Amino acid sequence: MKKINLKVNGVDYSVEIEEDVRLLDVLRNQLRLTGTKEGCGEGECGACTIIMDGVTVNSCMVMAFQAEGKEIITIEGMATKSGLHPIQRAFLEEGAVQCGFCIPGMVLSAKALLDKNLTPNREEIREAISGNLCRCTGYNKIVDAIDKASKYMGKEGDVNGI
Amino acid sequence: MKKRGIGIGSTFYGTGYGNGFPDVSKAIVELSQEGEIVLYVGATEVGQGAKTILTQMAAEVLGVSVEDITLVCEDTSITPDAGTAAASRQTYNTGNAIKRACENLRDEMIKIAVKQLGLNSSIGVKVENKKVYLNIFPDKKVSFKEIANLQGEETLKTEGIFTAQTTKMDEETGQGAPYWPYTFSVYGVEVEVDTETGLVEITKAVCAQDVGKAINPKLIEGQIDGGFAMGLGYAIFEDLGLHNGEIKHNRFTNYLIPTALDVPDLDKIIIEAPETTAPYGAKGIGEPVMIAVAPAILNAIYNAVGVRITEIPITPERLLKAIKDNGKNKLEEGKI
Amino acid sequence: MEYKIVGHNILRVDGLAKVTGKATYPEDLYMEGMLYGKTLRSIKTHAYITVDTKEAEKIDGVIKIFTHKDIPHNYYGVLFKDHEVFCSKKVRRIGDPIAFVVAITEKIAEKAIKAITVEYDEIESVFDPVDAMKEDAPLIHDRSNILYHYKLRRGNIEEAFQQCSVIVENQYKTSMVDHAFLQPEAGLAYMEGDTVVVCAATQYPHFDQLEISEALNIPQEKVKIINPAVGGAFGGREDITLQIHLALATWVIGKPVKTVYSREESFVAHSKRHPMIMNYKTGADANGKLLAMEANIIGDTGAYASWAINIMRKAGVHATGPYEIPNVKVDSYAVYTNNPFAGAMRGFGAAQVPIAHEQQMDMLAEKLKIDPITFRLNNCFKLGSTTATGQVLEESVPLIQCIEAVRHKLNSKANDTEGV
Repeated sequence: MKKINLKVNGVDYSVEIEEDVRLLDVLRNQLRLTGTKEGCGEGECGACTIIMDGVTVNSCMVMAFQAEGKEIITIEGMATKSGLHPIQRAFLEEGAVQCGFCIPGMVLSAKALLDKNLTPNREEIREAISGNLCRCTGYNKIVDAIDKASKYMGKEGDVNGI
Repeated sequence: MKKRGIGIGSTFYGTGYGNGFPDVSKAIVELSQEGEIVLYVGATEVGQGAKTILTQMAAEVLGVSVEDITLVCEDTSITPDAGTAAASRQTYNTGNAIKRACENLRDEMIKIAVKQLGLNSSIGVKVENKKVYLNIFPDKKVSFKEIANLQGEETLKTEGIFTAQTTKMDEETGQGAPYWPYTFSVYGVEVEVDTETGLVEITKAVCAQDVGKAINPKLIEGQIDGGFAMGLGYAIFEDLGLHNGEIKHNRFTNYLIPTALDVPDLDKIIIEAPETTAPYGAKGIGEPVMIAVAPAILNAIYNAVGVRITEIPITPERLLKAIKDNGKNKLEEGKI
Repeated sequence: MEYKIVGHNILRVDGLAKVTGKATYPEDLYMEGMLYGKTLRSIKTHAYITVDTKEAEKIDGVIKIFTHKDIPHNYYGVLFKDHEVFCSKKVRRIGDPIAFVVAITEKIAEKAIKAITVEYDEIESVFDPVDAMKEDAPLIHDRSNILYHYKLRRGNIEEAFQQCSVIVENQYKTSMVDHAFLQPEAGLAYMEGDTVVVCAATQYPHFDQLEISEALNIPQEKVKIINPAVGGAFGGREDITLQIHLALATWVIGKPVKTVYSREESFVAHSKRHPMIMNYKTGADANGKLLAMEANIIGDTGAYASWAINIMRKAGVHATGPYEIPNVKVDSYAVYTNNPFAGAMRGFGAAQVPIAHEQQMDMLAEKLKIDPITFRLNNCFKLGSTTATGQVLEESVPLIQCIEAVRHKLNSKANDTEGV
């Protein structure tokens, strides 16, 4: 067993881990932040996408010990006290959600994009979510939603979600 | 060289179990002790939007908003059997069952209101905004809550059952009416074929989808987008790579499904032609949205490069070989 | 008619839970003291088996290993009960469940799986459905490999083909594909009094309830299915996968048991789309009216029937495409092989035949020198049309509208593009 310290959604955690567990396992099984999903276990589907120190990563590809001292945002950290993050709101309004399994990862990939580029064109949006597989929506309404979110965020100023 | 071409696919799809098999959906709707509407139905939300559109139909009948209805579908011990979430049947079959259950509840509430308000008959009695009232004198009214209170412990519950009509086909001739209703789809695409790499890109797409009546147009558009993507994957990418019974492509690294970069923006056209046996005229579309895509792509490829691909998926290897063979044939025939 | 709620873009009622990550899929469920279940599956396509679990049972932390001996009624299936919950004598495909290990951790369960010995006494396999139809082919089940033959007969195709000015004849093939829903199978079962509760993503909870009660030989009221958020299905969650395993383990052990499939296991666990071999002959007269169509369609259902009968029937009924053809002969077959089993997938047999009938239509149009859209308009179903099965289309047949809508948009689009 080993102890790691990490910050998730603004909260400091100190977690006892077995050496061979992945960050995804810590988030889900130990912190019970089950919004982060596992779809393939090898970094191909993006369902387990989280933001670690400002960059999206597939949490199934990160060993838990590698998260020592890192700052992590998961889907549970997106909504603020005043309500949904503009990205979440746009996903809801645009009908970008079907079975919902890919959505947490999609929302975080969208956030990582919009944090860097508040005026992406549709191609840039498609590029940004190209590592997130979705089998239900055909992506178009997700692209619509991210486009709409960019406009919300442009108007509402910097929204970090925490 | 990059070559463009257009093609269409035109299809029909019979929804429901079919062939005379009893296709039954049941639903129960309850006016709870608090005067809230609770809908019990064993229809699964798989992402297709069943919960939303079934709630919409109930809300329409009962004159309330979607937020005023709780739909319970997740527990077999409290929900009636509404059949499988397959065969594109929940909108039509379970929609009909829910509509009937809600109409029965509405009629029961009207009966109670007529008695409670001392009216002569149910003529002109409306159900709206969680109350039952006389439309020519709206002060004559009784709220859902008051009706619920009148029921005491035993809540008001009504059932709706719908059984679709099909016939078993003759075993020797296949004659009969195996499905009802049918849903129609016509999808057209423009493709760009790279004759050097064998890669196919969908540059434009138009999807005309018959829906009977759209219960929720945005959800239908979402289904068209998703069906298109699955049809595109079927046409161009997907293959389990079976070798002596073994699935070689058993991961997302080698079983490729479309990404956001592969799917174009679609021009989606919802065509309405209400079906009188359907709830509000709505037919099932979950499967129809997928089946016209691959043939449209195949026909567009022919239009672009003059080769017929008769085996899917249209992998780059398969397409390049077909282009090469076609060139050879034309040489031999003296056409080039 | 205008409605207040129907026809409007109401926000998804399950949307909020899904955008916030609060929607609960079966793998998101945890219970105090829950055990982990793991499935041992066949690695051979066709073989008699002998299973020895003794060594595995000795591993510390293994609670119980279930095999065919532990299941009261060792069969299930959506139509035919031709699946065994755990293979008793023989395996028919790679991935057939043989045993289910329940242990205190997932790792121990995995270790125990490796410690079970399975002796495979291999039998000849057949992978090509055409070969499987031959008299001397190895039998997958104790019956003919041809499990279904649908016949559609209308008019007289021999005479009609003689009257055709143009005929096209081709063979088409489709591949075996997967639903690839994003959420791999997962489930948690537990006891609630004397009722076994199974939480698993399924398309038809009441049918799962029935199949579990039959396999365990317990009353239906003693089985409750909780169907939490479902991460996509597309037909791939119609056949049972882990539901009976979990119910049995919990029923016997009395403790909660959880199982989550990996993506690789998901690929072997659920059904596939039927690959089809479709031989088509279609003819039209000089005026561009379809006169005759003949189709012979072979569907490979792999090791189990699943919905093969309904699917090959649906393929047969839809073989003409949405066109009036007065003379039709269709034969479609469902055939067992030692491939992965095929079942329901979005389109259900009517997704394969358009690969054939729509290319036939374009080829005929080309031969007739008619544009493909006009050719379709000349022949397509409209109000009052009769289908090849003799069904009269009485209402809601807006096919011409659909074709015209696409023609209009596609032409205006094509005109925008240079070089087309």
